[in-house]
Amino acid sequence: MNINRRLFMGTGAAATVALSAPMVRAAGHGKPRVVVVGGGAGGATAARYIAKDSEGAIDVTLIEPTRTYYTCFFSNLYLGGFKEFDDLGHTYGTLASAYGINVVHDWAVGVDRDARTVSLAGGASVPYDKLILSPGIDFVEGSVPGWDISVQNVMPHAFKAGSQTELLKAQVEAMPEGGLFVMIAPPNPYRCPPGPYERVSMIAHTLSKINPSAKILIADPKEKYSKQGLFEAAWQKYYPGMIERLGPDFGGGNVTVDPSAMTVDIDGEVEQAAVVNVIPAMKAGRIAELAGVTDGNWAPINPEDMSSKADPDIYVLGDAAAQGDMPKSGFAANSQAKVCANAVRGALTESRVFPAKYTNTCWSLVSENDGIKVGASYEPAEGKISSIEGFVSQTGEDAAVRQATYEESEGWYAGITADMFG
Amino acid sequence: MRAAAILALCAFPAFANEAEELLLAETGDAEYGEYLASECTSCHQISGAMDGIPPIVGWDEIAFRLTMHHFRNKTREHQAMNVIAARLGDEEIAALSAYFATLNPEDDG
Ligand SMILES: Cc1cc2nc3c(=O)[nH]c(=O)nc-3n(C[C@H](O)[C@H](O)[C@H](O)COP(=O)(O)OP(=O)(O)OC[C@H]3O[C@@H](n4cnc5c(N)ncnc54)[C@H](O)[C@@H]3O)c2cc1C
Ligand code: HEC
Repeated sequence: MNINRRLFMGTGAAATVALSAPMVRAAGHGKPRVVVVGGGAGGATAARYIAKDSEGAIDVTLIEPTRTYYTCFFSNLYLGGFKEFDDLGHTYGTLASAYGINVVHDWAVGVDRDARTVSLAGGASVPYDKLILSPGIDFVEGSVPGWDISVQNVMPHAFKAGSQTELLKAQVEAMPEGGLFVMIAPPNPYRCPPGPYERVSMIAHTLSKINPSAKILIADPKEKYSKQGLFEAAWQKYYPGMIERLGPDFGGGNVTVDPSAMTVDIDGEVEQAAVVNVIPAMKAGRIAELAGVTDGNWAPINPEDMSSKADPDIYVLGDAAAQGDMPKSGFAANSQAKVCANAVRGALTESRVFPAKYTNTCWSLVSENDGIKVGASYEPAEGKISSIEGFVSQTGEDAAVRQATYEESEGWYAGITADMFG
Repeated sequence: MRAAAILALCAFPAFANEAEELLLAETGDAEYGEYLASECTSCHQISGAMDGIPPIVGWDEIAFRLTMHHFRNKTREHQAMNVIAARLGDEEIAALSAYFATLNPEDDG
């Protein structure tokens, strides 16, 4: 254990930065160790709650390659001109300084489940008693013929936020007058079910100001999608004639792209586009697969505590998990992280463990001060996370209700980011 | 303030109906409340800051319990809060009220 720790610290100095509070660190010997891979909605929350509630009794290491986490949530509002890019960025300083979490900026590249170690790209090996994986998503190769990750700077996905989101916005702003924006929507299941359609709303909002004769075409492999009636009503009200969606009946699922020609072939009809936003099919972040906890594209979990069905010492949170009835959202990942943190703490320190309960709400902005939402409560049942009761905004709600819904989403953004990063 | 609230909890006001009386008589387990509160802090900031969602820290326990009860029985309507409160029993509401009452709006967290 000591050798590993020294190795980890040694390599850490060369390849990574461990922003840890020295006092907590020095006292760390012999304490149970939790390693969290991925500092997003699930991972940052789990690390923070375990460190906060165990009051130093558990040594928490958070492995995350990026120094600034840009939230996907609200990234569409940036595309619509309602947020600045910097509003989306959050750093790990408080998790390190106020909670004593060892924040290691590196990639996890392997998990040795027998030795219970995580190997890092920098060469270090980090031992764990409990491992929490919250790596988000990766894309399924070949799901959109003609597209692969090497052309993401020509046809961006912007489904992992950061430079991809900035690029997509710059492309939209540079569209020629009357140009065509094409979105290739993803098949189920994918992160943020209303996300593509909120994005269309926000891009339409931007275009209606700077390029009102531009058009938006959505090629969609799905019959139906989240909050569809609400989105369609909003598009008709705010952006009439701008947006067209081709579902599977009209070949929306039979798409090939050519990034060098900037064309999209939809069921044999070739469209010349100014911007092509390809949102491919998704699967669990690769480290989940490398750890051997996936079955197909996602990692099955026990709904009582988010532990992997493949290994009781590994927990999988958020988008990477096969999370039953819950949609893949930041809200859901944050909710699961708190159930998991309570269970992990109980397993390692015998603190009290309470029954799992989960909640989700997904807000979408469709135009200025016009917000819609869908949400539900969940609990473990029949071996999965099962929904109990839900709600959704209605078409024809008055403007005051919609504005209150939008303001709530602002409150939630402030709340969840404080809950993740301290 | 706190002492007054506890006193009032024992001799709850006469206008409370039976369901409310039972809820107000429940003892709140603040440790359970802290766990349950983690569901609330995705929206309500623990710091007491207000950005489109009202703060709920440092409330009087009776007012807190009755407010949650009204969300639960839908006499106060709000889509998200109605669904959230619907699955809280008296024990859970009491636990939440006990925990949130320990937080001071001026504290940082
Ligand atoms: C356009 C868009 C809009 C959205 N809007 C909303 C919304 O309004 N509300 C909502 O609730 N959700 C929304 N979402 C969904 C939300 O962003 C995700 O569901 C959420 O981020 C999932 O959390 P996670 O912890 O699973 O993954 P993430 O938050 O993606 O975090 C994963 C982290 O793991 C790191 N990582 C990956 N692999 C490794 C590795 N091998 N080693 C170390 N670190 C690794 C990554 O760098 C990343 O920081 C939206 C998503 C998109 C794309
Ligand atoms: C999805 C976001 C969300 C979550 C999660 C949430 N709330 Fe709320 N809550 C709200 C909103 C929005 C309001 C304002 C409702 C209104 O306008 O009537 C509110 C109102 C309240 C109020 C009344 C505040 C006032 O000033 O009158 C209380 C008390 C409350 N919530 C407690 C809780 C508790 C306890 C939890 C956790 C069990 C919780 N909430 C979880 C969004 C949320």
